[in-house]
Amino acid sequence: MWHDAVLVAGKDLRVEARSRVALWQVVPFAVLVLLLLSFAIGPSAAPLRHAAPGIFWIAVLFSTVLSIQRSVAIESGEGTRDGLRLSGLDPAGIFLGKAAAVFLQLLALQIVLWAGVTFLFDVRVHQVGLAVAASLLATVGLSCAGVLYGALSAGLRVRDTLLPLLVLPVLAPVLLAGSKAWAAALSTHAGSGAEWLRILIPFAVIYLVIGIVLYGPLQEAA
Amino acid sequence: MTPAPPLSTPVRPRWLSVVGLLGFVAMGFTVWLGLWITPPDEVQGNLARLLYIHPPIATVALYWAGGVALAGSLLYLWPRTRSFFWDRLAAAAVEVGAVFSALTLVTGSLWGRPVWGVWWTWDARLTSTALLLLLELGYLALRRVPADPAIRARRCAVAAILIAIDVPIVHFSVDWWQTLHQGGTILDPGFALHVHGSMLWTMGIGFLAFTLIFVWLLGVRYRVEVLQDEVGDQELEVSLAERWSEDTALAGVGGPAGSGASAGSGPFDAGSPS
Amino acid sequence: MSYVDAGYVAALGVLFIYGVSLVLRRRRWERAARASGAAPAPTDGVVPGSHP
Repeated sequence: MWHDAVLVAGKDLRVEARSRVALWQVVPFAVLVLLLLSFAIGPSAAPLRHAAPGIFWIAVLFSTVLSIQRSVAIESGEGTRDGLRLSGLDPAGIFLGKAAAVFLQLLALQIVLWAGVTFLFDVRVHQVGLAVAASLLATVGLSCAGVLYGALSAGLRVRDTLLPLLVLPVLAPVLLAGSKAWAAALSTHAGSGAEWLRILIPFAVIYLVIGIVLYGPLQEAA
Repeated sequence: MTPAPPLSTPVRPRWLSVVGLLGFVAMGFTVWLGLWITPPDEVQGNLARLLYIHPPIATVALYWAGGVALAGSLLYLWPRTRSFFWDRLAAAAVEVGAVFSALTLVTGSLWGRPVWGVWWTWDARLTSTALLLLLELGYLALRRVPADPAIRARRCAVAAILIAIDVPIVHFSVDWWQTLHQGGTILDPGFALHVHGSMLWTMGIGFLAFTLIFVWLLGVRYRVEVLQDEVGDQELEVSLAERWSEDTALAGVGGPAGSGASAGSGPFDAGSPS
Repeated sequence: MSYVDAGYVAALGVLFIYGVSLVLRRRRWERAARASGAAPAPTDGVVPGSHP
C-alpha cells in the first residue's frame, strides 16, 4: 500500500510540476480571495486584523476545492480511471498517494498565504508552534476528505458544481477550528488555541481512515 | 517523407544588445548617483533615494508595459493589422510588466514601512496596483493553456484589454480617493518631497535606465515567445511524421528531450488539460 | 541593511535574475530550434482581413 501511495503521489506531483496549474492558477486565486475579502471587510486596518485568520482559512478552503478538482481532472481522460483500476495498484495506496500530493500542494499554498496575510493585514504569528500544528493537522483533514469527495463526484457531469456543495460543509469544522487556532496563534498571549487542535486531530484521523477503507469501493462503483 | 524545412537562424538584433548595454550603464549611473552623489532629502532623509527607482519602476509597469500590451492586443484584434507579431509582443509585455508590477509593490512597501509604519495599507493606489499584478498573472496563466495559436491570441488579447482598464484606475486613484500614497511628485511639489537639482535629473536618469532595461527585456522575451512557437510547431510535425511513417530511421529524429512532444501516452501521462 | 539598500538590492537583483533567466531561456529554445530544424514561425499566420 505504501509503495503504491508513493508511486501515485509522485505521478500527481510530476503532473503538477509539468503543467504548473497549482502555481499559476491556484496560488493567484488564493491571493485573489484575500484581496476580495479585504475589499468587503473594508480598508480600515483593525477589522482586517481581526478577520485575518478567518480570511486565511477561507482562502485555503476555496483553494482546496480547486486542488481537488484538479486532482480528479488528472484522471478524467479517456479510460484513464479504468487504467488506474486495472493497474493492480492498491486503492488505499492510490487514495493515500493522491491525498499526499494534495496535502503537499496545500501546505506550500499556506506558506504563501501566511506571508501574504502577514504582509497585507499587518499581523504577526506569535505562537508559531500552534499555527504550524493547526495547519498541518487541518491540511491532513482537508486533503483526505477532499480526495474522498472528489472520488465520489468523479464520474459525474455536474462534478464541478457538485463538489464544492458536497465538500465545503464537510470541511466547515476545519474552517472553524483552524480560524480559532490561528486567532490564538496571532495573539501575543497564550490562549485557548490548543483546545481547537482537539477538533482538528479527530477530523484528520477519521477522514484518513475512512478514505483508506472507502476509496476502493468508491472506485469500483464509479 | 516531407523534405526537411529550412533551419531557423538565431536572430539577435544588434540594436537590442546596444539597448541592453546602454540600460546597464544607465542603471549603474542611477545607482551611483542615487546612493552616493545625491544629498539626502530635507524631510525623508535617505529614504528619498527610493525616488530614483520606485517611480521609474512603476512607470514602466503601468505605462510602458501596459501600453505595449494594450497596443499589441488591439492591433492583433483589428483585422487590418492582424499578425502574430502583435500577439507575441503583447504576451512578452505582460510578462515583463508583471515582474515590474511586483517590483513596484516591493519597493513601494519597503518605502512605506518606515514612512507610514506599515508594510501595506488598503488604499486605492496600492490595491489597484495589486489588482493589476493579479490580472497580469491571470493573463499569463491563460497563455499557458494549450490551444490553437489564433484562438489563444484572441483570448489573450481580450484579457489584455481588461488589464488595461485597470491602468487609468491606478493612475487616477490618488486623485479620486483619499489615499495614504502621495500624489504626483514632480508635478505637485507641495508634498513632502521637493524634487529639484541633482535629485531631479538623477530621477530622470533612473527613468531612462529602467525604460531601456524594459525594452531589452521585452526584446529578449519576445524572441523566446517566437522560438517557443516555432519549436512547438516543428515538434508537432516531427511527432506526426513519426507516427505515420513506418520508416524506423525516423525513430532517431527526436525533438529536444523533455519537451514531451512524442509518443507513448499511458494512464500516467498528464491527462487532458482542463 | 537599511530600507533603501533593501529596495535597491531587491529591484536590481530581481531584474538581473529575470534578465539572466530570459537569456538562458532564449539560448535553450534556440538550441531546440536548431535541433529540430524548425522553420521560421509565421508572422502573418492569419490572412489580414479574415476571421481569426
